Amino acid sequence: MRIELKREGGLAFIPGLNRPHVFKLGDLPPAQADAIARSVQAASFFERPARVGTASKGAADQTRYVLTIEDEGRRNTVQLLEPVEDPSLRALLDLLKQVERTAVRAAPQSR
Amino acid sequence: MILHPRWHRHSLHCVLPPYLLRSIAQNGSSAQRAAALRTSAVDNTFRSLRFVSNPLGQRSPGRVIAGMMAESQCYRSIYDVEGQETFPGKLVRSEGQGATGDAAVDEAYDGLGATYDLLWEVYGRNSIDDSGLRLNAHVHYGRNYDNAFWDGQRMVFGDGDGELFNRFTIAIDVIGHELSHGMTEDEGPLVYFRQAGALNESMSDVFGSLVKQRALNQTADKADWLIGAGLLASSIQGQALRSMKSPGTAYDDPVLGKDPQPGHMRDFVRTWEDNGGVHINSGIPNRAFFLVATQLGGYAWEKAGHIWYEALRDTRLRPDCGFARFARITLMAASRLYGEGGAEDTAVRDAWNQVGVPVTREKVAVAFTPPQGVQASKPSTRRPQA
Repeated sequence: MRIELKREGGLAFIPGLNRPHVFKLGDLPPAQADAIARSVQAASFFERPARVGTASKGAADQTRYVLTIEDEGRRNTVQLLEPVEDPSLRALLDLLKQVERTAVRAAPQSR
Repeated sequence: MILHPRWHRHSLHCVLPPYLLRSIAQNGSSAQRAAALRTSAVDNTFRSLRFVSNPLGQRSPGRVIAGMMAESQCYRSIYDVEGQETFPGKLVRSEGQGATGDAAVDEAYDGLGATYDLLWEVYGRNSIDDSGLRLNAHVHYGRNYDNAFWDGQRMVFGDGDGELFNRFTIAIDVIGHELSHGMTEDEGPLVYFRQAGALNESMSDVFGSLVKQRALNQTADKADWLIGAGLLASSIQGQALRSMKSPGTAYDDPVLGKDPQPGHMRDFVRTWEDNGGVHINSGIPNRAFFLVATQLGGYAWEKAGHIWYEALRDTRLRPDCGFARFARITLMAASRLYGEGGAEDTAVRDAWNQVGVPVTREKVAVAFTPPQGVQASKPSTRRPQA
């Protein structure tokens, strides 16, 4: 399973936090990979529409996540606008943000 | 002019002639200036400009004209979301209640109050919608959540992850920033895309910074002009999220990267990211405001703040407004408030020139008022240009 998570928006545009993060489940610790795989299934990710959540009139500085997952010939991209109200999608996003956080700190951007 | 505490004000609108109001607005004490400008809000000239040139009737039908109000009351409610991402959470502090000891709760409460006070005491604005909107903030949003946002109704603050960011209530200008989005939406709106979106962001930085400067009683030359000072964790190489004084210098860090803001049109960033660079190119109008404020000296929320506030309220500020149009509107606001050819007028013109936005007042006219039943104007199909 290949996952790409890209963060957009927020209170500031911060180059190091707005890069897409790509990772494969096989490269993660087994327990973390299993949790993500179960969460993808629980969230029915491949059946989700292209956009989840709608910005209210006048909203600003909200974070939007663009999440693409490929697995066994299937591929889906979903934009998630915070606050993500669906519990299963929120749980999946939380897991992926943990991976993203580790990756951001481990690989400072080259300048 | 006598000003009593917030919940018991008197106003002498109908007694003072316009020339005296103008004199007070220019030369009076801070409190006198605020009262005079509240009164000016119902002066015929200002009223005509705002309502005759607003054929689409964007304002709420039942709206109260701020200058006609004698009293205003701040109502704050702080909710603790307790690490969840659902609203409203638990109400933990309401208006008039004492400090809770929870830093995020108390900073949010104080920040809302400082923002409310700036708007009412300086600009005569009754809360962010000018109709007494109650102010709600939600703190402790999510886990390790690195953001604060305005969702159209409420302010939401994360605690930060402690590694990159501290709690987002730590910076009072960030609280003012989020609330000001509500004000811009009410007065504009300015669409959240490209130059109009950058102006929207800049407005929030301007008034957020003014909230902070007023809370600290700082004159323009003493202010740091940073947005989000204290927000970056100690391990980060940077001072803040943005610098209005020197855009592009707020941080330069191995993890965060380098602050991408330009301070001049020659460095304008064309991008599809960040809604067309709304948090990037806002550096240009931010620096223009800084230049006006420091050129005029004194407290930035006085003359410079009034000019920007009048510009925000000007109905010629279209939703797709670009930098050049906004610059002309600020120039006309300076002339209207302080007289044509004066120091204020010159400071505004010079500031925009210094950031690469040459400005003249000739190109902006009061909007055409069409016969009833005829659409006022078609949305602009031109790409906004500075």
